[in-house]
Amino acid sequence: MPRWLEKLLGALFPYVPAPMRPAFKRAFLWTLIRVQGLASGRGVRQGWRIEFLDFEIAYLEPFEYLRPGPGEIEVAAHFSAVSPGTERAVLCGLPGARRSFPYYPGYSCAGIVERAGARARGFRPGDRVAGRLKHASAGTAAAELLFRVPDGVGLEAASFIELGIITLQGMRKARIAPGDRVAVLGQGLIGQLANRIARASGAGEVIAVAPSRARAPVSMRPGGADRFLASRDPDFDPGAVLADVVIEAVGTPEAIVTAVRCARRGGRVVLLGSSRGLSRGIDLGALLQQGAIEMVGAHISDLPAVDDSPGRHSYRHEGELFLEMLRCGRLSVDELVTWRAAPDECNAVYEKLARGGGEHVAIILDWRRGRATREAA
Amino acid sequence: MKAMEPLRLAIAGAGGIAQHNARSAAASGAVRIAGVFDVNHRAARDLARALRAPFLASWEALLADPAVEAVLISTPHHLHRPMTIEAAAHGKHVLVEKPVANNLLEARQMDLACRQAGVQLTVNYSFRYLPRIRKAKQLIDDGALGEIAGIQIINHQFKDAGYWSGARSNSPDDWRASRAKCGGGYLIMNVCHVIDYMSCLTGLKADRVYAEYATRGSPAEVEDIVSVSGRLSNGGVCSISASSIMRGTGQAEERVWGTNGSLIVSGEGVSFYSTRPVDGRRPGKLYTLKKFPEVNWTAEWIRGFAQSVRQGQRPEISFQQAWENLAFIQAAYESMERGSAVGVEPYVADPGTS
Repeated sequence: MPRWLEKLLGALFPYVPAPMRPAFKRAFLWTLIRVQGLASGRGVRQGWRIEFLDFEIAYLEPFEYLRPGPGEIEVAAHFSAVSPGTERAVLCGLPGARRSFPYYPGYSCAGIVERAGARARGFRPGDRVAGRLKHASAGTAAAELLFRVPDGVGLEAASFIELGIITLQGMRKARIAPGDRVAVLGQGLIGQLANRIARASGAGEVIAVAPSRARAPVSMRPGGADRFLASRDPDFDPGAVLADVVIEAVGTPEAIVTAVRCARRGGRVVLLGSSRGLSRGIDLGALLQQGAIEMVGAHISDLPAVDDSPGRHSYRHEGELFLEMLRCGRLSVDELVTWRAAPDECNAVYEKLARGGGEHVAIILDWRRGRATREAA
Repeated sequence: MKAMEPLRLAIAGAGGIAQHNARSAAASGAVRIAGVFDVNHRAARDLARALRAPFLASWEALLADPAVEAVLISTPHHLHRPMTIEAAAHGKHVLVEKPVANNLLEARQMDLACRQAGVQLTVNYSFRYLPRIRKAKQLIDDGALGEIAGIQIINHQFKDAGYWSGARSNSPDDWRASRAKCGGGYLIMNVCHVIDYMSCLTGLKADRVYAEYATRGSPAEVEDIVSVSGRLSNGGVCSISASSIMRGTGQAEERVWGTNGSLIVSGEGVSFYSTRPVDGRRPGKLYTLKKFPEVNWTAEWIRGFAQSVRQGQRPEISFQQAWENLAFIQAAYESMERGSAVGVEPYVADPGTS
């Protein structure tokens, strides 16, 4: 839509009587997608997606999308993984995660190719793929952002793809050496993946640290941590952890301080958790200097899409590596799934998440459940 | 399925609300009116004629009549206790107007008499059968509000001098103005209905209250304006603002809110907002439900009681619920008199054996 038309409609919208605005908006969007479809020669498709209607309110809503463009792939979703940190931050309006509503969450999904655009070579209907797609029954994505799922890897495990990439790129920056003692602060989904990747990277000991012991049973499953420490226990002493590498997978200023205290002198702290707090009053300089700590920022936004020069690993490289680790059994994520939810349970899923997630680690939305009912609706 | 045998019900009292109760009983289809009694014989005869039922000349005649299985007592509050005890002693089941009694001691005596006689006792808190209240309860039970944090009752109207003097009644009596006869004013007389259905809606009771009340515009010994604050059993907070002296701008509205939404019950209907998809509706939006079926709520109460008698089950509106309602009101009155917060006496099933 031309920018001038968008501006004009935006200026006129406040003059539409309030009770008529929802209908006006629906009519506008209905018309817009059809005009876009006609202009680009693509058909309009219907699906269902999760929407954050407002703070702490998620709901499954019908939506429309266009058939794939020349370089795109249309995917029928089978599973999508809830990213607890990012999605909860938006849902609850945490610092650094301000978005307008409605908001369409999700970025880690696996499914089957329905249709491939003319220039999306190498993909055919029926192929199993994973990648950065929202929580929706179907959608389109650029072909270069999708990964073919190898034989032997289930689509549910493959739906962890984006979370796996996030964790891998951070763990790579941790430069774990054989025998290192690695402490992972935070035992949400990213922390649990970090436990496993640290072990696969040759860590001598993996120590999981979380406020309570609620997630200890998942953390201590085979392939995970060797020890579990609850930071709220009265006898918890971060200075006794003495980790060579500390993975901070919480994202709060308080966790960063604890992470620094868990590191041995000269140790390394990797900030893998997305920052969700205000860091006023923390003297990071003194904290780092006193322990000669090396601190490494490791947000996925720093990951190059295609640059594969020596010493750097691209988004595509990390995605393929994650799937290969699943294929050859060096990494397993099935044990992390604590809730396999139907999409129409999303309101309850996100209500739980908004309240901290409780005992849940990985929540998977199974888009095959209720598909016939939704399509008939 | 075999039809239930109608409960043979006598009417005790033929005043204003008694007439409504008696006609509702007849309309319920679950009872047969076995007789009508009132000390005002003319009012009793008129009502008996309208219901095509026998006129009973005395309370003793009613009690002695073997055709009477149950009695619906719609008399001034201070008569609830003696009449209930006498009816129970004669093997009659009892339906009594709200409040159950003027105080908890009287209420206990009524309960004991009924239990010893093996008869059922229920109290007319029939507003909870109003369709809008039923709907509100369904929404709350479906989780629309999450964990309840607050309850607010606003209830203001204007009761003119005739209400207090009995001049409006077909059986004039100024008992409403007497503290000894009715135990209190607007709170025990009128707001008790709202307290009952809000407790029914939420499943919550207050365990501590602080109240202020006064008589500022009515020819009565009892209060016509009252404010109550309370702590709910789940840690939430409730408040009541009520009076019978608000001229021209009366208001009746109840609000309940919790971790996931809020709900308003008013004369307009039921409005609610929830973060959850309840009642088949999209979350995150305020809905107002205005259309409800016409239901005779008193007939619903009487029908339910007749069924419970026939099936030998505890009535839906039990003595315990009526007792807890009175315990809250009594604690509010005590609070004002003491000038401090007062704990609400918890219900004990059988204090004599505990």
